[in-house]
Amino acid sequence: MNYFSSLLRGALGAGLLLGAAGARAGADPHWPVAAIPAALRENAHAVIRQQDDIITVKGAGRLVHTIHLVATVLDEQGERYGAAVVGYDKLHQISYLRGSVYDADGRLIRSLRAADTKDYSAHDGFSLFTDNRVRVSDLRQARYPYTAEFEYELVSTNTLAFPAWSPQEDEHVSVEHATLRVVTPPELPLRYREERLPAGSAVAQSQQGALRVYTWQFQLLPAVEREPYSPPLAELVPTVYTAPTAFEVQGYPGALTSWQQLGQWGFQLTQDRMTLTPETEARVKELVKGVDDPRARARKVYELLQSSTRYVSVQLGIGGYQPFPASTVASTGYGDCKALSNYCLALLKAAGVESYAAWISAGRQKAAVRTSFPNDQFNHVILCVPLQADTVWLECTSQTEAFGYLGSFTGNRHALLLTPQGGKLVRTPANAALDNRQYRRAEVQIDEQGHGRATVRTTSTGEQQDELAQIMHQLPADEQRKQAYQRLALPAVTIEQSSWQQNHRGAQPVVTERLTLALPSYASRTGRRLFLTPNLLNRLPPPAPRVGARQAPLQLATPFVDADTIRFRVPAGYKPEAVPAPVQLRTAFGSYEAQTQVLPDGTVQYTRRLQMPAGRFEAKEYEAYEDFRQRISKADRAQLVLVHPES
Amino acid sequence: MSLFLPWRRALPAALLALSALGARAQNEPVKYGKVDAKLFDPAQYPSAAGAPAVVLCDYGTSRIEGADDGFRVVFDRVTRILVLTKAGYEQATVQIPLYHREADEEKLLNLRGATYNLVGGKLQKQELDPKSVFSEKLDQYHNRRKFTLPGVREGSIVEYAYTIKSDFVFNLQDWQFQRDIPVEWSEYRAVMPSFYQYKQIQHGFLPYKAQETDVVPYHTTYHASSKDGYGTHLTESGNTSTLTTKALRCRWVMEHVPAFREEPYMTTARDYLAGIDFELDLIQFDPAQPHPVTSTWEKISAELTKAEEFGAWISGRTPLTAQAEALATTYRDPATRAAAVQALVQQAVRYNGQERLYATQPLRRVLEQQRGNAAEVNLLLVRTLRDAGLPCWPVLVSTRSHGQVFTELPLLSQFNYVVAAVPLAEGPELLLDATESAAAAGTLPGRCLNGQGRLVAPAGRWLPLTPRQKFTRVTTARFSLDEQGQLQGNLHREYAGYAGLAERNQLAELGEKAYLGALQKQYTDCQLRRSALNQVDSLSKPLVLDVDLTLPALDAGPAQVYLPLLQFFTDRQNPFQPDTRIYPVDFGTQHEDVLSVALTLPKGYAVEELPKNLVLSLPNGDGRYSFEAVLRDNVLYLNSRLQLRKTQYQPSEYPGLRELFTRALAKHTEPLVLRRTR
Repeated sequence: MNYFSSLLRGALGAGLLLGAAGARAGADPHWPVAAIPAALRENAHAVIRQQDDIITVKGAGRLVHTIHLVATVLDEQGERYGAAVVGYDKLHQISYLRGSVYDADGRLIRSLRAADTKDYSAHDGFSLFTDNRVRVSDLRQARYPYTAEFEYELVSTNTLAFPAWSPQEDEHVSVEHATLRVVTPPELPLRYREERLPAGSAVAQSQQGALRVYTWQFQLLPAVEREPYSPPLAELVPTVYTAPTAFEVQGYPGALTSWQQLGQWGFQLTQDRMTLTPETEARVKELVKGVDDPRARARKVYELLQSSTRYVSVQLGIGGYQPFPASTVASTGYGDCKALSNYCLALLKAAGVESYAAWISAGRQKAAVRTSFPNDQFNHVILCVPLQADTVWLECTSQTEAFGYLGSFTGNRHALLLTPQGGKLVRTPANAALDNRQYRRAEVQIDEQGHGRATVRTTSTGEQQDELAQIMHQLPADEQRKQAYQRLALPAVTIEQSSWQQNHRGAQPVVTERLTLALPSYASRTGRRLFLTPNLLNRLPPPAPRVGARQAPLQLATPFVDADTIRFRVPAGYKPEAVPAPVQLRTAFGSYEAQTQVLPDGTVQYTRRLQMPAGRFEAKEYEAYEDFRQRISKADRAQLVLVHPES
Repeated sequence: MSLFLPWRRALPAALLALSALGARAQNEPVKYGKVDAKLFDPAQYPSAAGAPAVVLCDYGTSRIEGADDGFRVVFDRVTRILVLTKAGYEQATVQIPLYHREADEEKLLNLRGATYNLVGGKLQKQELDPKSVFSEKLDQYHNRRKFTLPGVREGSIVEYAYTIKSDFVFNLQDWQFQRDIPVEWSEYRAVMPSFYQYKQIQHGFLPYKAQETDVVPYHTTYHASSKDGYGTHLTESGNTSTLTTKALRCRWVMEHVPAFREEPYMTTARDYLAGIDFELDLIQFDPAQPHPVTSTWEKISAELTKAEEFGAWISGRTPLTAQAEALATTYRDPATRAAAVQALVQQAVRYNGQERLYATQPLRRVLEQQRGNAAEVNLLLVRTLRDAGLPCWPVLVSTRSHGQVFTELPLLSQFNYVVAAVPLAEGPELLLDATESAAAAGTLPGRCLNGQGRLVAPAGRWLPLTPRQKFTRVTTARFSLDEQGQLQGNLHREYAGYAGLAERNQLAELGEKAYLGALQKQYTDCQLRRSALNQVDSLSKPLVLDVDLTLPALDAGPAQVYLPLLQFFTDRQNPFQPDTRIYPVDFGTQHEDVLSVALTLPKGYAVEELPKNLVLSLPNGDGRYSFEAVLRDNVLYLNSRLQLRKTQYQPSEYPGLRELFTRALAKHTEPLVLRRTR
């Protein structure tokens, strides 16, 4: 082990001489904690002392990735660096996995033994079946700090997925020294993209016999801490993205110098898989008979898909990229995102409507696709139906989503269309603030004791209805009620009646919620006064407290507009003593208006409107954003004071 | 349904045998493949309203039959489910866990499944493709079969059936009547021959529709490769023997079983889900020679004491022995010495999160890896306490995630955890656990607060695990209002008992910086000028938080100041949001939350109105809330105190509990009204 690591480090050259010498001498300390520069301990739970990745391209269809990782665990929160967690599957095999652990002074505590390693199924929690497994080698210690060293090798026959190199993938982890070395035959030159690299760490190219060698190294990267409302960490830390020029997965070769080529490969995997049986085709033709408008036809087909299939994921080998044949989905009635999109495409084709599968990176707040660096950045498939007037996008894994609606899961980002001519990178539609509405009206009756009774009607559209729609469709009635309680977030409330209705007729899906609420002590009573917060249900929390000077840009993910009108009938005889002053705020981050009025009939009317955009703002603007949020939070909690004149 | 029934009931096998009063042979409630159009109308199933799917019938049978060199359990099951909505599709995906150990295994046979759809009044059937049944290795001892049925839509009936042949006769297949969707009819039958007598452990509190037992003739053949020693009942015929005796035939039925839902403050769901487990109690091939399997607590205790992975595991000196012996001379007082020993063990070994009753690796290796399961950590603690000259015994515990213990059922499988007990000269034993570095000696981790533990000692007995410590939070704040209407002051909060443990765990998880940072989030409107933690490592004392803070300028009327002072220090969420509760609220500890605020008023201010004093009590004084506001000279004293004096509240007590929290929270929002006099 020492012999191996000294060889490895020797091969890596500069900056590692000390470590190599230590290994040879045997008794000398390994990675003593005292040698960590003070700046790297700041704000860190673990320090990566040394990380060496070597990627050797053995051919278009095979690569070997060796990892040497030495990390000092400073405290409990850094514990994940005391164990190696290595995933593998049919296309990625582990050749070896070794490790040692050293105490703070760098004395060997022990080396990894068979009993330290356990093997688990790496089930993703939603698939029916996957071949993903994980090996966990545990060298964690009871006392901190300690240093764990691991070496392992992965042989991959999925050369489409080259690793991205980003040693600092967690918050509160600093990096003392890290190297990446890619060795590749001249006919398979490496493609790479460097992002946010510190000065002086750009690529160095050399030759090793006939092979080309690319190396990078990072030194002394201090720990980072994720700030509130900031972009994902993956968009903030230094990263080298790598990709092949040509690849092969389980007998399917492809080229990868353009999106066109990647799309070509994806398309070819689906080629012979779009055939339907004559019966299914006939059924579709019958379904769209007499419907001329292609959009209306597509809608009919989508409804058929939604009522006759469901999402079941099975991921094995090339099956991670290649769909089940459409005929299989037709007979079993299930499939994953690829299979269901491909099946829908085949159904649409039978209905005379052209469509394309689209690879996409799904999820809220995903890192944006690097458009100038074609490689596999996707995890999901949807369907794109180009029409004369507009383009319709279909989420084929959902049995309940509105026709043509994407939402926060896949909207507003790049997708790769798989067309017979190859791949095309296009954007999915983005919702504007007015598409994501939440309009609310409520009538509240307050009695002498301060108890309230409210009827509330809330209409939510677009991304503001996503969560509600999920609750409606996926939960039984009793669980829906529990969710309603959580969403209300009031200290004392009983839901007397509740109903939710969905409407998919408009441009955006709509959910209308109707609630009747009992609100014990909604107004506080002290003596002859009643204290009442007019903002019944829509109090924006204050901004998360800041940690030091703002570093990262501010990212606002979802544009939206909320409007509330709440009318309170208060017990007779009470007169306003203190009424919150109207608030009006207009900033680059949005606009806010709130007003409390006591109408001539004694009714209290509260109106509030908040509109916020999506977008990215520079770090220096953060203070202004914080101030905006603080003002809103304060205004949202303002109280009205009513007093009963003394009798 | 009675709310005072115990959650699990153990029925001794003998009692069952006596009550064998000729149950009639019953028809099977379901036949695989016999689906007809009448079954599809959901209106006929009362339990189905609002549910995504309903189990129409779940039917299982277990019987013992002869096998090569012994016996095995044959379990057959047929399950039929009506899918009502898209959310019910997941019911068409089925997982069957299978256990194996050494040469013994559970074998899945004869798996079949089909989906039925009613299309235009006509029944369509689509069969499960055997190729789409997946097999997955979960861990060393468990595999899993998984399949999903094809052609599922809203309104489909899915049906599947299978057989499991198991070499593990010690456990008959258990049965759960209740699931996450309603069950119209759930039936389990078992035929247990006289030579294998099982104890039954029943969970939940739903009533049976039928529960019948009778005695029937029984015979089976089995193959022997060598002569067995059981004797007279066997008649040899070549290698095959036929065995004739009587058997106990049991039948349990539940009807209209509601869906099971987890609620906050529960022990494991298994304590609440309606179901039956079985444990082999007696092997008796010859009435004159019964072989008890689960005999007595005394025998269990004796066996454990000798067991390689338990008592014998700590029979020798350990690397901690010398240090322990040194502690014996340093600390005279047993309780203090025990605390020092616990700290020594905590430093040597960390808990790996596995609740276990046995050690799984050699002691030296645990110390080398510095990690161990609950048994390893706490058996080492037992040994080290003994090495320090303290009498000490292991205590068997079932954690909250493992379920309730029945003292009348001497089964080792009831336990999954070990702690240490040191008898003291006065009062009850000191219970110690070294798995949590934040727990003081004598404070068991929250997971152990579950009924009683069994002392493994020559004079074994039951020890209550109910903690003496409560979950206590005491907050004292002093503020002064200046003439500009700004509030300045400090807050002193002590987290004692289980609150101290919870906060120290939180502190360990976040680190001090992030822990104190989170305070700012909690006191949104306040400016925290200084915050500090004290007594962090003095585990036997409360964790102390001291904060200096400034409150923002107050809401003011023309001549008044409104001050909701207590609201600044209160958690604003009611832990009991839902208006109904099905199962008991099981906190594990008693609670006490005390808040005293002193506010000094400047000249020029007078009190106009104060919140009214209030005292609320639950019946029998099981819970209490009091509030009091007093003005003395120019200082206003506000005292609020919430006490929960039971660790467990029945669902019937839930409305009272919810109301207590609601009223307490409401009280804290009531502002003081001050008047400017100048």
